[in-house]
Amino acid sequence: MSISAPRYGAAPVVRTGRTTRTLAIVRREIVRRSGVGTIVVLALTYLAITLILVINTEFASVTGQLSLTTFETPYSSPIWPFLMLIVAATAGAGSLAEDVGNRSITLYLSRPIRLIDYVAAKAAGTGTWLVVAAVGPGLVGLAIIGILGLAPTSLVLTGAGAFLASGLLAAVFFTGLALALSSLTTRSLYAGVSIFGVVLSLEIIAPLVSGLTGNTSVAYLSPITDLLSVAQSLFGVSGPFATNPAASAAILGVGGVLLAIFAGWRTSRVEVVGE
Amino acid sequence: MAGGLLRADAVTKRFETIEALSTLSVELQPGTIGLVGPNGSGKTTFLRLLLGLLSPTSGTLTVLGRSPQRDPLVVRELVGYMPEHDCLMPDLSGVGFVAYMGRVSGLPREMAMSRAHEVLEFVGLKEQRYRKIREYSVGMRQRVKLAQAIVHDPPLCLLDEPTSGLDPEGREEMLGLIGALSRLGGRSFVLSTHLLPDTEGLVDQVLLLNAGKLLAAGPVQALLSTHDPETVIRIRGDTATFGAALARRGVTARSHESELRVVLPSGDSGPVFEAANETQTQIRYLGPSVRTIEDLFLSLVEERPAVASP
Repeated sequence: MSISAPRYGAAPVVRTGRTTRTLAIVRREIVRRSGVGTIVVLALTYLAITLILVINTEFASVTGQLSLTTFETPYSSPIWPFLMLIVAATAGAGSLAEDVGNRSITLYLSRPIRLIDYVAAKAAGTGTWLVVAAVGPGLVGLAIIGILGLAPTSLVLTGAGAFLASGLLAAVFFTGLALALSSLTTRSLYAGVSIFGVVLSLEIIAPLVSGLTGNTSVAYLSPITDLLSVAQSLFGVSGPFATNPAASAAILGVGGVLLAIFAGWRTSRVEVVGE
Repeated sequence: MAGGLLRADAVTKRFETIEALSTLSVELQPGTIGLVGPNGSGKTTFLRLLLGLLSPTSGTLTVLGRSPQRDPLVVRELVGYMPEHDCLMPDLSGVGFVAYMGRVSGLPREMAMSRAHEVLEFVGLKEQRYRKIREYSVGMRQRVKLAQAIVHDPPLCLLDEPTSGLDPEGREEMLGLIGALSRLGGRSFVLSTHLLPDTEGLVDQVLLLNAGKLLAAGPVQALLSTHDPETVIRIRGDTATFGAALARRGVTARSHESELRVVLPSGDSGPVFEAANETQTQIRYLGPSVRTIEDLFLSLVEERPAVASP
């Protein structure tokens, strides 16, 4: 073993600020999740949504029924929510669980950042992938439609706005959900399975209970139903919707934020240094 | 440096019914400090308080003149921390990991990378720095933990059980690295360990804890010289009988492994030979004891046995 002193530069180091330190964690989180699984799922999402949009638009053009509602089709399809769940599981399930599991959270929190910086960085990393999954495919599909001249530009731009709004809402909710479930375990596998379990269970149980009890407000418990209502409203689908779109949007947005706050609280309870 | 390196004023930390630290008051100057005590003595709790990860139940604490509770980010910029347990990121290479930790500590990107290379060379991982951490041995993992603690060149490093899990050769190498770093100067170390021999010859100050209570703190030489010099006696015969004979002459003997240790009044060895004569015991060795930190710790524990926390 060679022992030689570190030859630090003579110039005093100008330390970066909290934002830069936090961004370093965000970058690491984004790169960390760029595994083959995530890339394959994203590629499938982009391919599926683009194909659905292009084929549907072409068909609507031929039949003379082209309108904003034509672009809503991906939300009605079961493919898109399912792929969103896969992205949430691959990109978000391990975000906190792995750090607690391998105890690297100790190293983060013993450095000059606050807990909120750490959790926000994790949320930003996971959220980036979810935005790419939730917003990107719609925008890419519409861009291709625009380039091919399958729909008027004004309609394409309106559709892009609707995709952006509904996609961001979905990303906020699923980011919060992934972080919250990730904070409950030290195994990313458990968190990933929980994401599917929670969302799909609510998707099945909520309409069932709503139908049995006659209480329509139970339908709000299903995030996919909420998302569908919001998307249908944004894309100009005429009602009636399963839920009130404005209320569903509020549930998804506020719910996502509250779930992220819960994840932060759970992380603050972690014994970071001691055995 | 205002307030010295570390200062604790009547610091108490309770976890529900457990009192992990009890009215700890101490002031330590820059240097290499041994934070010594058995498992459960409050060492890790003290480190967590120094990092601002915990707040004391009562009392105040300063690190390099700053309060870790009021200015945790400032304190953590000045402190490097090497945890005891495995906490590495297995998917990163050694150099990627250390550079990343440098960036989270506030180093600009290029500087973080160049320092990562320097410190990894220093800890003897130059050849292995591009390998994934998951492929590292226990010794290499300990070294990379030390590297991440010093990458941002902090004036104070907190090393929690740095020789934990290492074989004798690895332990010697780790202690050699810490010794080399401390000899460079300009940087202080708090070496937390339950292995008292790890501190011998390495630390210039010591903080001895037992069951959350302070046994002693201060410069090692001063602490070792505060107690009366002991004399070591090795005999052929029954140490208990010989000890009883010494006691009748007003000399209290402390049994230590196979030998007896006594404090002779005015250095007069007469009572030893009288006791030997009385008990027909052969004295094999009689000489001054070379006191170690371990001796000091054991004698203090005997003098002031810790009261178990409720």
